[in-house]
Amino acid sequence: MNEIQNQNHQNRNLEPRTPNSVRPTPPVWSSAIRIFDLSLGQMLWSRRSVFLALLLGGPVAIAVVLRVVATLYAPGLQINGARAPGASIFGIMIWLLFIRFIVPVLGVFYGTALIADEVEDKTITYLFTRPIPRSAVLLGKYLAYLACTVLLVLPSVVVVFFLIVPIGGSSIGAAFPSLVTDLVMLTIGLAAYGAVFALVGTRLKRPLVIGLVFAFGWEPAVLLFPGYLRRFTVAYYLQALVTHEMPQDSAVSLLLQVFHEVPSVPVSLLCLAVIIGVTLWSAGRAVENREYVLEQ
Amino acid sequence: MASVVAADHLSKWYGQVIGLNDVSVTVPPGITGLLGPNGAGKSTFMKLITGQLKPSKGAIRVLDEPIWGNPALYHRIGFCPEQDSFYERMTGAEWVAALVRLNGVGDQEAASMAARAIEMVELTEAANKKIGAYSKGMRQRIKMAQALVHDPSLLILDEPLSGMDPLARRRTIRMIKEWGRAGKSIVVSSHILHEIESMTPNILLINQGRIIAEGNVHQIRDLIDEHPHTVHIKADQIRALAREFLAYDDVLSLRLEENAVIVQTGKPDAFYARLTEIAASGEHGAIHEVTSPDDNLQAVFQYLVKS
Repeated sequence: MNEIQNQNHQNRNLEPRTPNSVRPTPPVWSSAIRIFDLSLGQMLWSRRSVFLALLLGGPVAIAVVLRVVATLYAPGLQINGARAPGASIFGIMIWLLFIRFIVPVLGVFYGTALIADEVEDKTITYLFTRPIPRSAVLLGKYLAYLACTVLLVLPSVVVVFFLIVPIGGSSIGAAFPSLVTDLVMLTIGLAAYGAVFALVGTRLKRPLVIGLVFAFGWEPAVLLFPGYLRRFTVAYYLQALVTHEMPQDSAVSLLLQVFHEVPSVPVSLLCLAVIIGVTLWSAGRAVENREYVLEQ
Repeated sequence: MASVVAADHLSKWYGQVIGLNDVSVTVPPGITGLLGPNGAGKSTFMKLITGQLKPSKGAIRVLDEPIWGNPALYHRIGFCPEQDSFYERMTGAEWVAALVRLNGVGDQEAASMAARAIEMVELTEAANKKIGAYSKGMRQRIKMAQALVHDPSLLILDEPLSGMDPLARRRTIRMIKEWGRAGKSIVVSSHILHEIESMTPNILLINQGRIIAEGNVHQIRDLIDEHPHTVHIKADQIRALAREFLAYDDVLSLRLEENAVIVQTGKPDAFYARLTEIAASGEHGAIHEVTSPDDNLQAVFQYLVKS
């Protein structure tokens, strides 16, 4: 009797609640938000995040060492003989460690793997056989990447800020607005590099190699020379957002002055928005049209 | 609706390799078994009817609509893939609810739909355990739960019994038949005739990328029985099982491997029935997994192709 009741209960569950045949595909944006919900936890607890945490530990460790050195040696830190206030050192760290190294590395490792990870784990089937556009899968995972990296990178920057800026008597209060600008710039940098490398990951073979060559071969090389080529980098537009005063009369300051041949802030923001929009759109098209054959 | 799947001169190539070759077939409503050895084109056909692959040539329609690039159709289709892949850190309930949310339902409704689907696959007790801790049979059932959670009218099950122990296999076959009786159309693939036969008499035989026969399973039934059937059984007490099997007339040969006994039988139906009874009684300890290589089925296909 119980079995019959149970069977009846199961059969009742099978009756259609709403006519599936008339349901439209949910819009890309709302589908992307649902993919974001699903992916964020996976991304935060992935092996890649352990790597990310180690990577972000580097600047914090350097900041601790600099702070200790500055505390032990009262004259403060000097770069090429010039006294370097904490705010300037922080600016150098933001540019050289975060913008030129950590942000591109994160973009390469996360961006190229947005879809590839699901394909490698053979879980992509579950996402591609749901009533959502495939491009929403990419967009949702991109948003999860952005949230995950921002959640981990920004606290690291804040810790470095509080360790470094007081060196040499710089005022935390005076430097705080530039910290906010830096956090916004890093978020934009993560968004831009992530979008570019998402495109590389969906369109090209060997995306990791190509991404690393782009970030650490093409960009540094092209930025050293004047001309049009530097416009085909992300870093060129990010430079305009750097607001830090650098130490004067030193090789570093000269180098940074070369770097600061940059477009205006509005032009940079517009170009970065275009880069993000176009690369994400193109990556989405690639995912929509590509067949993913999983190895059995 | 005349058919749930209609393929018209459907072909699929992977570079130089032909996955499916000029297949024209219609799958009627009800339960249909897709039977063929590994590499026959079953997976390619399943991927085409679930819209994961785009036809190289010809056309495929599912529930009277093209499937490639038509995500809205997945409201009406549930797919249980062959691969044993999950978000291992999630619980069964979390995973099924997360996937049905992609169908556009809210959090609360998703949770209740997931609970219902998990109940239907009789996994309620394990719903809040991490999928990483599930047995093979439980993993297969949670995959089926995600396929039917949104109440689709067509269920596509790719090797759903693969690696299950005899009791889970019997339970799953019963569930699939219940869903068929409840009005769902089901396409189920396997390389084991006896599995398919226990669910439906309606089969499609596929080999070397072509549908070589379709219709009633009984027409090829006798052919299958002429060939020895190999069964690979993983169990706790393989020596005790082997002693038991030696007493059966239909067991043609038997050998032991690490944690497994491999049997060749001339009467697979009878053998599977007795194996299920042994598993249910627990007389010779737990039986963890029963698989069948498709050598025997391959022999039948070669015979069919030649004839």
